Amino acid sequence: MAKKLPLEGIRIADFTWVWAGPYCTLQLAHLGAEVIRIETRTRPCVTRMLPPWPDGKFSGPDCSGYFNQYNQGKKSITLNFKHPEAHEVARRLIKASDVVINNFAAGVMERMGFGYPEVRKLKPDIVMVSLTGYGDTGPYRDYVAYGPAQVPLSGLSSLTGYKGWPPMHAGFSYADPNAGAHGAMAVMMALYHRARTGEGQYVEMSQWECAIDVLAEGTLEYSMNGREPERNGNRDPYMAPHGNFKCLDWPDKIADQVVDRWISIVCADDAEWGRLARAIGRPELAADPRFKTLAARKNNEDELEAIITSWTSTRDPASAVEHLQKAGVAAGVVADARYLSQDPNLTARDYFVYKQHPEVGVKQHCGIPWRMSATPCEVRSPAPTIGQHTDEVLMGTLGYSRAELDELKKKHALD
Amino acid sequence: MAGALSDLKIVELGELVSAPYASKLMADMGAEVIKIERPGTGDRSRQRGPFPGGEPHPEKSGLFLYLNTNKLGVTLDVATPEGFGLLERLVADADIFIHNLNPPEMDRVGLTYERLAKVNPRLIMTSITPWGLSGPYRDWRAEDLTVWTAGGVCVLNGAGPEHPELPPLKTFGHQSGYQGGVHGAVATMGALMARLRDGEGQHVEVSEQETIASMLEMTFEYWPYMKMVATRLGAKPIQPVETMEASDGYIYICCIEDHQWDRLVEVMGNPEWAKEEIFADRFKRAASWDALKVFLGDYVRQRTVLGLYKAAQAKRIPLAPVSTMGDLLNSEHLKARGFFVEITQPVAGTHKYPGAPLKYEKTPWQIRRPAPTLGQHNEEIFGARLGLDKARLGELSKKGVI
Repeated sequence: MAKKLPLEGIRIADFTWVWAGPYCTLQLAHLGAEVIRIETRTRPCVTRMLPPWPDGKFSGPDCSGYFNQYNQGKKSITLNFKHPEAHEVARRLIKASDVVINNFAAGVMERMGFGYPEVRKLKPDIVMVSLTGYGDTGPYRDYVAYGPAQVPLSGLSSLTGYKGWPPMHAGFSYADPNAGAHGAMAVMMALYHRARTGEGQYVEMSQWECAIDVLAEGTLEYSMNGREPERNGNRDPYMAPHGNFKCLDWPDKIADQVVDRWISIVCADDAEWGRLARAIGRPELAADPRFKTLAARKNNEDELEAIITSWTSTRDPASAVEHLQKAGVAAGVVADARYLSQDPNLTARDYFVYKQHPEVGVKQHCGIPWRMSATPCEVRSPAPTIGQHTDEVLMGTLGYSRAELDELKKKHALD
Repeated sequence: MAGALSDLKIVELGELVSAPYASKLMADMGAEVIKIERPGTGDRSRQRGPFPGGEPHPEKSGLFLYLNTNKLGVTLDVATPEGFGLLERLVADADIFIHNLNPPEMDRVGLTYERLAKVNPRLIMTSITPWGLSGPYRDWRAEDLTVWTAGGVCVLNGAGPEHPELPPLKTFGHQSGYQGGVHGAVATMGALMARLRDGEGQHVEVSEQETIASMLEMTFEYWPYMKMVATRLGAKPIQPVETMEASDGYIYICCIEDHQWDRLVEVMGNPEWAKEEIFADRFKRAASWDALKVFLGDYVRQRTVLGLYKAAQAKRIPLAPVSTMGDLLNSEHLKARGFFVEITQPVAGTHKYPGAPLKYEKTPWQIRRPAPTLGQHNEEIFGARLGLDKARLGELSKKGVI
């Protein structure tokens, strides 16, 4: 008999939106929790309105690949909080839940009447997590935090960049999933504590602080030595070569563009450098005084990279990586989405998810990054259409009758 | 007050970032963690900085000291039969075993879940590896950059369409490792919740490549939905969403919504140029970015970072400083929240470290002890706890087992 999932029976009242919060509750859905997103049709989740869309044009709030990626396995109900009846539905949902989570700016839940004191009155052992940009306290608590701006705010940008260039970004709103993953861990630890003691609690998080926790090497250079680390491209002080190297472009155009391709190559020590030199047909370079030791390779890194590029630039990335890995060299394709979608390793491990979605059909989505031997996790359903589970949750879980439900709908309390 | 995980015992066999970060997150919430390092050189992170005064020293690595707070440290060569035997005795009494040995190393050591489960059927074993424990890349080499590129995220970052010759750019630090670590902690906690109910341990494996692939924002879905690929060379559809130079540093100008731009125009004192039709909406501002960046750049250069940041935030525009490390350590906000914590370790001295990612009302995050020196708790763990006498300890040490 199949084992229950780790969080089977745990219900999450999910007030989150955009990316950080939904990323957090996605992990909980992966672990088997019943995640119920509270949405509103008057202001759908930002990600429902963003591309990518099938056929390239907006065709309604259920069609975004962005939303459909990060809300797999969840339910959706819609409430219109202009109506007191909607508040009553939310109160009943909280009473029936184990966890309440939100990533609104500080104070928003309080203004909606769902601050922790009120929520605890409804459900004394509730775990409540607030995952705001700046945290609940401090002089900037009310500041507005948008995903892209959280990367420079965190300090990562000032550490990231080509040598001699201004600070760069991470290329995506990295602080969001980082905070979401830390938030999922926070929920799990609080649930564990509750399981042992019967005690719920409030957990307060700042996306900014979660991000600083993953760049400790940077802040420690400053706190130990009063120095700002220098931006240095893809290079590493303790390994060389350490970088991305140009290969052949995709042979066909993508969306009318020529798309370039690269691979990463790293040699952690002199022996690995020797393996690389032989693999690129230049065995004599292994013992060459310009490259023999780490110190020598660091001193001649421009030249070193030029030699490697002359080998990679005429090659297909996948076969170059295969060749280097066979020789025992750490190499990887700088995967774009097209490559990733067919990556042999991810494919062989059944990482990708293909579910039938009522609006977009079967699309390839990214799956669960872990495997569990006794309680195998799986994505149980595609992302919900907006309000897809309103009837099911209100009648099945919260005890509303069909007549009451129809009455609420007539009043537009469930929009 | 006890931490949320204060009844848990964890054994960690970890190097660099992933497994050490996973068990640090749990140690800081109260779990007891025994960290196993290889005799002699210890965890590789001891060789990586930053170091006080820039002088490499295995007991002074900022990276190691940060990642291993609240842990007990022992040395043990698990590739020897005696070493593996001691590992078995340690996990016999543990709830969780977290490691990041690569599969070829696991094979060499003979490390399998089945073997440890014989000693302790309630054990949760978490394996965090670059490529996972199955699949054609199982035995491939990887460093942090390898996974960051193969997971599909590095392709997104770089200098933009004007500089196709510059490579896709890695994000600072050991981000694949940190993400493997935090997702590893989530999955491990999942197994722990299942054990509370089912009474059984299990094997959890986390692939760093899959972890990175699971956080690509909307970029991956551009391929299955629209047959497009996002790369560092794509033009931005909306502007201004850019780093710009202020009088005393860099600031990130972020006006994703039109109403945010309208209010930024007010902050700038409603300049004439902002009324031009070519700047009328966010898409037009992107199309006219070459012109806009000149006007906007002139304005931003006259303002200080903090001055413009606070003026914009007062009107609810999500600008942010491009924080330097000094900005973080000196931030009035982070100070008021008590984020950075001072930790004293006898060899490295007292320094400020990043603090709690979460503030629990009832079960606090706490630094109870600094990171261990190499083999600091050998006697306490192998001697007092496992009952090895002095002579046996000396013998094992001579053989290089501990």
